[in-house]
Amino acid sequence: MKSKDVAAGSRSGFEDGEGSVVAEKLRKEFDGLVAVDDLDLSIRRGTLYGMIGPNGSGKTTTIKIMVGRLKPTGGRARVLGEDVPIVERVADIGYMPQEMAIYTELTVSENLQLFGELYSMKPGPRAKREEALLAMVDLRERRDSLVSQLSGGMKHRVSLACSMIHDPEVLFLDEPTVGVDPELRVGFWQHFSDLKARGKTVIITTHYMDEAVRCDVVGMMRQGRLIAEGKPGELMERTSTSNLEDAFMEFSWRDAA
Amino acid sequence: MKATRVLAVARKTLRSLKHDKRTVGFLVFMPLFMIAIFGYTFGGSLEDVSVYVVNLDSGVGNTSASEAIVAELAAGGVLRIEQVLGPDGDPADLVRQARAKVEAGNAWAAIVFEENFTADVLRSVADVGSVPTGVPGAITIHLDASNPNIAQAIMNEVQLTVQGVIVSEYHLLPPMTVSEERVYGEDAEFIDFFAPGVMGLAAMMVTFMLSIISFVHERSTGTLDRLLTTPVTEGEVVAGYALALGLVGLIQSIVILVTAVALFQVQIEGSPLLVLLIIFVLGAGNQGLGFLLSSNAKNEFQAVQFMPIILFPSILLAGVFWPIEAVPDLLRPVSYFVPLTYAVEGCRSVMIRGWGLGDVWFQLAVLATFAVVMLLLSTYSLKKRR
Repeated sequence: MKSKDVAAGSRSGFEDGEGSVVAEKLRKEFDGLVAVDDLDLSIRRGTLYGMIGPNGSGKTTTIKIMVGRLKPTGGRARVLGEDVPIVERVADIGYMPQEMAIYTELTVSENLQLFGELYSMKPGPRAKREEALLAMVDLRERRDSLVSQLSGGMKHRVSLACSMIHDPEVLFLDEPTVGVDPELRVGFWQHFSDLKARGKTVIITTHYMDEAVRCDVVGMMRQGRLIAEGKPGELMERTSTSNLEDAFMEFSWRDAA
Repeated sequence: MKATRVLAVARKTLRSLKHDKRTVGFLVFMPLFMIAIFGYTFGGSLEDVSVYVVNLDSGVGNTSASEAIVAELAAGGVLRIEQVLGPDGDPADLVRQARAKVEAGNAWAAIVFEENFTADVLRSVADVGSVPTGVPGAITIHLDASNPNIAQAIMNEVQLTVQGVIVSEYHLLPPMTVSEERVYGEDAEFIDFFAPGVMGLAAMMVTFMLSIISFVHERSTGTLDRLLTTPVTEGEVVAGYALALGLVGLIQSIVILVTAVALFQVQIEGSPLLVLLIIFVLGAGNQGLGFLLSSNAKNEFQAVQFMPIILFPSILLAGVFWPIEAVPDLLRPVSYFVPLTYAVEGCRSVMIRGWGLGDVWFQLAVLATFAVVMLLLSTYSLKKRR
């Protein structure tokens, strides 16, 4: 049995030059279908990275490989200096899956407690952290409600809070803002920026192209490959467009050509 | 393996059950109903079985052996004598009338005392020790044997009553007797035999069902995948579930034990703790089995389809209601592969024979092996990533 008993937040680490999240010729095929096609990626520590692209472009598959739930067919993926699936620093990553992967038959608070305990957090710090996260996702009044009784958007917020309970170094968020109303969404992005300011690496996939403008770096994915990567402003400049959606379309045409 | 993480998984499993009040009710009341229903159904003896009597015997002087027997039968309680026909009337017609009642399903038997019954009995008594000079008194029973239990009960009741009357009325002791000296099971009744079986069955059913449904749910909602991105290991998840579901099995066993003692005065000669230990290990093993099969079910509906496959061999072959010696030779080897067999045997030995750990170690070892193998296989299957 592998040992994962490394305390959360250990900072022993990888060389400064290497990105927090790295993919080299990363490949994933499902029964001959190519989901990730020799992807090269390097995301530096302290970056708010947005992964955009249509359904089936390989965003979710890439993230699942990074968090150790899928085995790559080829190439290499490294997170925090460790080949995936990472073991030593597994407590330093956080993951919010696209599906509502929380326990609907438990209360909001019990879900947070479970994840806190799995990261071996002490009751004191865990309670404090829970309080802060509930405030962030605006669910303080619903802490004792069963998740099954919450609205879809609320469930998403619980799921987000669970992925952040242990204040991870690298946070993978697969579509975190689906079903979240605009006002709260602004708050979320503010929080992601704060995380970045504290040196955390945040990788977000999103369908909302307008949101991706808030990222430091945007990676555009199509058919399992990265077709463009850069600061949102640069990407628009390179395509002479005024928004990321048009920029994406332009890069897609160039890629297809 | 880290205890805090195992406990975290176990706690979350128990908590999610706790919030579901109906499931809690099911877990507590299902075993209670099971033992109560089985207890009352199988525990009671046969009573008030309808029979007709045709007495063609007119006695000798003022004594009548047949009347003495009929009186005893009526007092016995097992048979309810609807009517005594004869001795006046046409014998063939009387027998036909009584037999018609059996044929119509109004009675289970027509008990016919043949003509000259008392005279034949008296002569046979006088003949004891010398060459018989006639035939013994004869009773013919026209029997509806469509229900073997009832048929058996009628035959036994009549034979025992006849023997009793011979002793009390004619002071004739049988030339030989067979008596029993019970090694185990002093005062044991049928309920004492199957209460341990029902306990194992309930624990097995529920732990298997909860396990397979929980894991199908965990897989389909993605929570299992998510758990495994945290520091928790596959082994810790499996151990946490085994702990939680083993406890559920334990609680059910306590419900059954308490109910069985309160309602049916079931005996517990040995240590109740040892019984609970056996059930806990059985529950943990079935949790693993449920987990393994859950990977072959796409949804809860498919999961439920595994229930009869697991349940029927256990009910029929594990010796819950009848000993495995009663299982046909062809199927008996299967009995030895059903884990419940060992749990039932172990619990029964502790409860009725009062055996201790040193006596049931073999059953416990088999169950522990089953549990360990199941849990290891579960862990291994979880480790395989796509």
